[in-house]
Amino acid sequence: MNEFADTTFAAPKRRFNWLFAIGVTIVAGVTLLALIGPYIGPYDPTLTTPRVSVPPPSLSEIPGLLFGSFSNTLEHPPHWMGTDSSGYDVFSRVIAAPRTDLTIALAANFVSLGIGAVLGLLAGYFRNWGTELLMRVSDVLQSFPVFISAMVLVALAGRSMGNIVLALALVYTPIYIRLTRAEVLQKKVAGYVEAARAMGTPEIAIAFRHVLPNSMTPALIQSSVTIGFAILLTSGLSFVGAGVRPPTPEWGLSISTGANQIILGEWWPSVFPGIAISITVFGFAVLGNALEERYE
Amino acid sequence: MSNLEKPLLDARDLIVGYPSGGHYSRPVNGASLTIRPREVVGLIGDAGSGKSTLALALMGLVQAPGRILGGSVEFGGQDLTKLSEDELRAFRGRDISAIVQNPRGALNPLIRIGEQISNAYRAHTRATPAEGRAKAIEMLTMVGINDPERRVNAYAHELSGGMAQRAMIAMALAAKPRLLIADEPTSGLDVTIQAQLLDQMWQTVQDTESAILLVSQDLGAIANYCDRVLALHDGKIVEDAPVRQFFAMPQHDYSKEILGLHHAQGDRFPEQVSDAANDILEVEKLRMEFPVRNSDNVVHAVGDFRLNIKAGEAVGLVGESGSGKTTVGRCLVRLLDPTESIIRFDGFDIGSLDQRSMRKFRSRIQFVFQDPFDSVNPRWSVSDILIEPLRQLADMSRAERRKRAEEVMELVGLPVELLERKPRGLGAGILQRINIARALICEPEFLVLDEPTSVLAPRARNALIELLGKLQKELGIALLFITHDLTTVRYLCQRVAVMYLGQIVEEGSVEQVFTAPRHPYSQALLEAHLFPDPDHRRVDHPSDSALDGEIPSPIDLPTGCYLASRCPHADETCRSIPQNLSVLSDGQTVRCWKAEHEEEPAEMAPATKTG
Repeated sequence: MNEFADTTFAAPKRRFNWLFAIGVTIVAGVTLLALIGPYIGPYDPTLTTPRVSVPPPSLSEIPGLLFGSFSNTLEHPPHWMGTDSSGYDVFSRVIAAPRTDLTIALAANFVSLGIGAVLGLLAGYFRNWGTELLMRVSDVLQSFPVFISAMVLVALAGRSMGNIVLALALVYTPIYIRLTRAEVLQKKVAGYVEAARAMGTPEIAIAFRHVLPNSMTPALIQSSVTIGFAILLTSGLSFVGAGVRPPTPEWGLSISTGANQIILGEWWPSVFPGIAISITVFGFAVLGNALEERYE
Repeated sequence: MSNLEKPLLDARDLIVGYPSGGHYSRPVNGASLTIRPREVVGLIGDAGSGKSTLALALMGLVQAPGRILGGSVEFGGQDLTKLSEDELRAFRGRDISAIVQNPRGALNPLIRIGEQISNAYRAHTRATPAEGRAKAIEMLTMVGINDPERRVNAYAHELSGGMAQRAMIAMALAAKPRLLIADEPTSGLDVTIQAQLLDQMWQTVQDTESAILLVSQDLGAIANYCDRVLALHDGKIVEDAPVRQFFAMPQHDYSKEILGLHHAQGDRFPEQVSDAANDILEVEKLRMEFPVRNSDNVVHAVGDFRLNIKAGEAVGLVGESGSGKTTVGRCLVRLLDPTESIIRFDGFDIGSLDQRSMRKFRSRIQFVFQDPFDSVNPRWSVSDILIEPLRQLADMSRAERRKRAEEVMELVGLPVELLERKPRGLGAGILQRINIARALICEPEFLVLDEPTSVLAPRARNALIELLGKLQKELGIALLFITHDLTTVRYLCQRVAVMYLGQIVEEGSVEQVFTAPRHPYSQALLEAHLFPDPDHRRVDHPSDSALDGEIPSPIDLPTGCYLASRCPHADETCRSIPQNLSVLSDGQTVRCWKAEHEEEPAEMAPATKTG
């Protein structure tokens, strides 16, 4: 009783969620870059410059360069993150890459979410040998390491954006099947399902109209996490040479190109895209966490 | 008991607040009450009215983040609201203890119950572990648990709900507290067990000379066990009266409202439907078995069920949980496929139709589910929920459907504006009306209601029952009302069928069965039911028709009469010969050879008389 005397209370609902805010900011920033990134960089991300392996400016040079680029007195726009061994401007490529990475990640996520939710619904709602078989197949798919499966698939089907999307979608679909199915198993015994049955609604209509919309929450929350990891996986595939083809701006590709020069002390072509990936994946992950806390 | 006696507990202007949106909401806002030694005081109020909050606050307990904002609770010369947590701990258990709603949740699953009782006892005495164990056995015996020496070593999950609740009572009373706060101690238990348990609690408290604060929504429990009644409304005690006065002449509007139904009916029984009416439903045979997973056994949920319902007639189907009532209801509307059946609806056998052919009948037979929250799709608007049956079953334009939705909203007494809302945040009473509206939208001739009032607060329950009575009269719908609440059946139904272990054991007009039940099970059920009538309190008339034990497993059915193992009149014949349902001269049917041969119906106190 009296132990609360000096405490002030704020309703839990109104508490500002920092995690959520950080997540939203990062995700919004990356999305914005996916839309306009390729056009706002100082250089075309797919064209080389004559200056190779230029290091990024030191901190003391930055104010002068900033002034110079605004007053248009420099002979060429500054390379904020340096250039790599082929002469690509690292900064332009880093901010152009979300278009590639995010597009692949979003497409892969929504393809797998769509397929996974429908299959999960069918597997949970109609339990028979067919759906049991489906679950075992999805177990097998899930038991391969995600990265290896994706790598093999891309290697077999060819290095195009579409194939990467399909490969990622295939490895993420079992997760969505499982999540949706678990929720459907709970929701299919709800009173409103029986009520719909009592008014003669066909089973398939009950499944899609009543059960599916009420079973989507966990899968939607998982989406945020999946998108983050899909970006990581896309970059990983490029890094091992099974991703998009150069000179498409893509973080993993940039890291991979720069990696050869690290030994010569050229750290910048790899480190900056690496930081970009970390921030992005972190952003999607905390957003997913915050959403989960809010809706569960 | 003398009113001059010094109160045991005296709460003055108690305020409990929970922070919400920058200020405090106050579920308890200036409640004052007294409890005298050895007195049984009832606390009644709606769900969410703050009953439990108030009861806990009397022990100085408030669930975080709430706190006591004002007032005092004087107990034994000290103000509990001013004590530190440590000083309070000494009070709890020794002077005041509590029994909460969910016994299994309140018992520690990892500690044997004997040890839990012993710990509760030893926390306030200097007893050794051996003495604690002896005390635990003594307490378990006192609360009527068979074989207490063995049960002290049981874990919570090994006990049935009723036994777990008894163990809780044993724990609460181990240190002989002067006040026992019982918060809905029997919610979720069956009537027969509920009565046994309350009897036992009442008796134990009489023996230990404690006082009880019985928190309940159930007028029956209040009327049968309490000396004095407190009504909580808007955070205040609005009425404080001796139990008979409370039921006979309630003063406050809230009390009048919860007692309204009780007063409206008086001694009358609902009028019978004319004999000329056709049977809308004839169940000649209904058997439902469920296979048990990974074994060859089956659960005999319903066996040999027969019932006729006339057009426009309301029939009550009563029995303990596990008796198969709900399964029958589901088979009748074909939510389940019966193992064997002849169910004639308006002359057509619908028992073996496939789901596609059944669609023709769906608009004429409807079902209302028990849980109002669960039975509406939370993502749909009320309007979409209501017109779903029309989309499926009727050929209507959008405007016609809308018009019909507005009509049924009016029929169930809800404002049309509600149509645009989603169910979220609507109360149980409103949602159950929406469910009823949805069931009525296709103008059915027969409606099955599966315990539609079991989760409602007293006021909402009364209103809903009145509504159902009105609808049945106005629309002439036949009802099958599945419930364990005999008070409601008595108000609403013309006929009643009593079910036990998947069979009907007795059937007749409500008047016949309620005034002269012939089957021992009906007798016990009526005896155990707590009618809200303080002039015929259970505690004043000990009875002998109580049943022993609990309902047997429906997997291994007994050979003879299903009730034989619990029946006080059972003999060898009962145990060996299966019983058939036979019609007596006055139209009542009963499944008991002894009752058939009796000239006079069993004597029974007119438990349904009202004040």
